[in-house]
Formats: sequence, structure tokens, C-alpha cells
Amino acid sequence: MATKSGCIFIQRRFASAAAAVRPSAAEVRSHRNAVFLREQSRQRALFPRIEKIEVSMQGPGLEGTLLVMNKGMSTPLSCARHLTEYHVTSSVLALVDGELWPLHKPLMDSCALRLLTFKDRDPTAVNQAFWRSCSALLGQVLETAFKDDFTVELLRSPDVPVTSGAFCCDVVLDPQLDSWAPSQESLRSLTRGAQLLIHLDLPFEPLDVLPSVALEVFSHNKCKQEEVVKMASENPTGTLQLYRCGDHVLLSSSPLVARTGLCSQFEVTALHSLGSGPWGLHRRAQGLSLPTQLQAHHTVWNKLRKRAEKLVRKS
Amino acid sequence: MRLTLQMLISHGRVARRMGLGPESRINMLRNILTGLVRHERIETTLARADEVRFYAEKLIDYAKKGDTDEKAMKMASFWLTEKDLVPKLFKVLAPRFETQTNGYTRMARLPNRTNLDRAKMAVLEYKGNPFPPLYPVKKENELTLINQLLKGYREDMAQQLATKA
Repeated sequence: MATKSGCIFIQRRFASAAAAVRPSAAEVRSHRNAVFLREQSRQRALFPRIEKIEVSMQGPGLEGTLLVMNKGMSTPLSCARHLTEYHVTSSVLALVDGELWPLHKPLMDSCALRLLTFKDRDPTAVNQAFWRSCSALLGQVLETAFKDDFTVELLRSPDVPVTSGAFCCDVVLDPQLDSWAPSQESLRSLTRGAQLLIHLDLPFEPLDVLPSVALEVFSHNKCKQEEVVKMASENPTGTLQLYRCGDHVLLSSSPLVARTGLCSQFEVTALHSLGSGPWGLHRRAQGLSLPTQLQAHHTVWNKLRKRAEKLVRKS
Repeated sequence: MRLTLQMLISHGRVARRMGLGPESRINMLRNILTGLVRHERIETTLARADEVRFYAEKLIDYAKKGDTDEKAMKMASFWLTEKDLVPKLFKVLAPRFETQTNGYTRMARLPNRTNLDRAKMAVLEYKGNPFPPLYPVKKENELTLINQLLKGYREDMAQQLATKA
């Protein structure tokens, strides 16, 4: 109850302030967080009675394993916790009845579950999810990296394949920063910000929401609202997937990995400017990352990093 | 054939002297070879495994001639003391190695024996048996993240070279 009244208070405050002054970045973030948490608690309250479902595990060494879990409450991660520590630390995504499923999303029905890792026979889907999560992480770093005087608006990041060499994140910075060119030091400080988040090992919490909730979350960002409308029209079910990582709420069309701690090597390699677009000067931040299970020797890493500095184009 | 100095000055008598004499040696090796054909993987001392290996390969060479061949049948019935293994030799092992011309067996060292003496031990097997592999299988996956990145890097380099030239 307390959270709800708090949310209403925040909304009212924003509603009155929106016309007058731009809300600070911290306020925007707390508003998004509050709406996200309210919706999450509402969805959790939909299952007041504990009902049991049967999850049959698939994968090497798990044939015939049957877990009895709670409907609407247990996630694939809680299934992994019933197995071994290896399954908890190395699982990236889950495959529920042949459908990609984020590791923190509650299971809704009896199903067959397979935990996916980076070292599977065919890790293409996992790689793509990792790449997408890294660009989400990069967006989170960019949003918090600047002082409060400068606005940072994240655009929809293009989904680049892994073979292109770098993940990227499109961003529009404050008009005051149009002449600013990032130095090596500033890229390094961005890298350090990302490594801080990786060290915190934050989970990416998914939440399926209706477009109206998503519009409320991004009520301060015109560009994000357009994206919400577009994505809702693309999706046949009409719902959107929001993710929360720490206090950063983001929109994603396809599942992200379980947590930030899966990255081990991470580097922001370049910040290119793409020319002016409808929202201002578009910039593209690029980075390179590798998971803990697949680390590279420093010579290999340096070669890959040098390649990741080149501007990635949408294929 | 000269592998070592000792072998050179042994004047062709390269076989190890084991057992109570030449006949005892042959009988011992027959028993071991029978065990090898039956179980396809056996554990014995290094010297015996090394001696048997030559005969095990030779026996497959004979078996490939087919069970209608008189010499092959004679060899099989001599070296296999348990006669129910003769059909297995001709029907199972010979077709398995049809594509190979040599190297039908594999030998690997084991830790020295500790309960009786410190004899060097080894394991001898026919290739293509149904047991788990002796050596860990090398896993190479082109689709892992780092391999995909390196693949992209190689393609980039090849393109650069092509444009330069």
C-alpha cells in the first residue's frame, strides 16, 4: 500500500513538473523503477495460492529429472538451484518447450526445461542474447556516466550479429555536447563504470507488460514512447518485455541473459557520431565483451578490440 | 628395422623373452589375444601388451582375407583358444577395419601396479570399440562466441588483403 501511494505521489509530482522544468535523471530513474516495481508486485499477487507444476529437465546428465515447482513463482533459476552450483553459475538462458525464456521469468505451466550455456553444441541464440545484454549494459553505463546537467537519451539499439565484432548502443547526448569528442580516458572511465556493474552481478529481471504500463514507465522520453508503440504493434500478443537491471529499466524485444556477472572481459571501444537525426546528433557507442567461460588471451583480445573500434553498420 | 642400439646388436631376435620358454610365451600371448578379441579392451603389463599388439594386428590382417581362406582360418583357430570367437573375428572385427590397412589397435600407459610389484601397466584395445574413449575427446565448436568473433576477424583480414592486392 505504501509503495502505491508513493507512486501516485511521484506521478502527480511529475505531472505538475513536466511542463515547467525537466526532471533530473535520478528522478526519472526512480519513477521508472517505482512503476516497474508496482507492476511486478501486481503480477506476483495474481498467484495468491501456491499451485504446483511439474518441470521435466532436459540436458546432459539430467534425463528423467522431474522437479515439482510453484506456478507463477518458480523461475528456471530456482530449478537450476535444485541441481548443482554448476547449473546456477553457467546457465545463461532457458529453453521452455522450445521457446527462449529469461532465467528470472516465472514458469506458468508444466513444461520441459533445458538450461542453455555458452558451451552448448549450438550457442547461437545464447550468443545473440549475450550481445544484446552487453549493449543494454552499455546503455545503462552511458545513462549514468554524465553529470546531471546533460540529458542522455537512449535510442533503439540495432541488433548486430556477433560476427560483426562489436555490440553497439545508439544514444543522443545533450546538444551542449555536440562538439565533444571522447578521449581514450573518457572511454576508459566508461569501461570502469561497466566493470563496476559487472562486479555488482545484477540480475536482468524481466516483466511482461501492456503498452499502457510501458508508456507510463517511459513518460519522460518521447523517443522511447514511439518505440513502445512500434514494438507493441509488431508483437502479435500486444505485450512488451521490460527488463530491470539495478535501477535501470529498459525495453527489449528478445530475451536477455541472466545477470551482468556473466561478462568477464568488457571494454567500451569507441563512440562514433552518426550524423544528426530526428532527435539530435546520433552517436553509436561500441564495445567488446567476453563471458567468464570463454576468456581470450591478451593478444587475441587486443586484435578483437582493435577490430571493435571500427564503426559497425547494420547489415 | 632398427629402433634402438640394443635391437641392432640383438641380431634379429627382437622379441622379449617371457614365460618359461618360447612355447610358454606363445601360449601366454594366445590367451591374452583371446581376451583382447573377446573384450576389445584389456589391461595387462606393458611388456605383454606390447608383444600381443603385433599379433593382434596380424590376426586382423589375416581375418580380412575372409573365412573361406584356409590360412586365415588356420591362424584364427590357432590364436583364439576359445572357438566361439572365430565368427566374431570374421564377422565383426574384419568388416570394421575394412577401410584401414594398419593401426587397428591402440595402447596407453597406466599407473604402475602397486599391489603385487611395480610392473609397468598398459591398456590395449581394438579401435572402434563401444567403450568410453581412452583419451579425452577434443571439443571444437565453431559456433561459440569467441570462435564467431575470430571468424569475423579472419574474414575482415582476408577482405583487407584482397583490397590491398
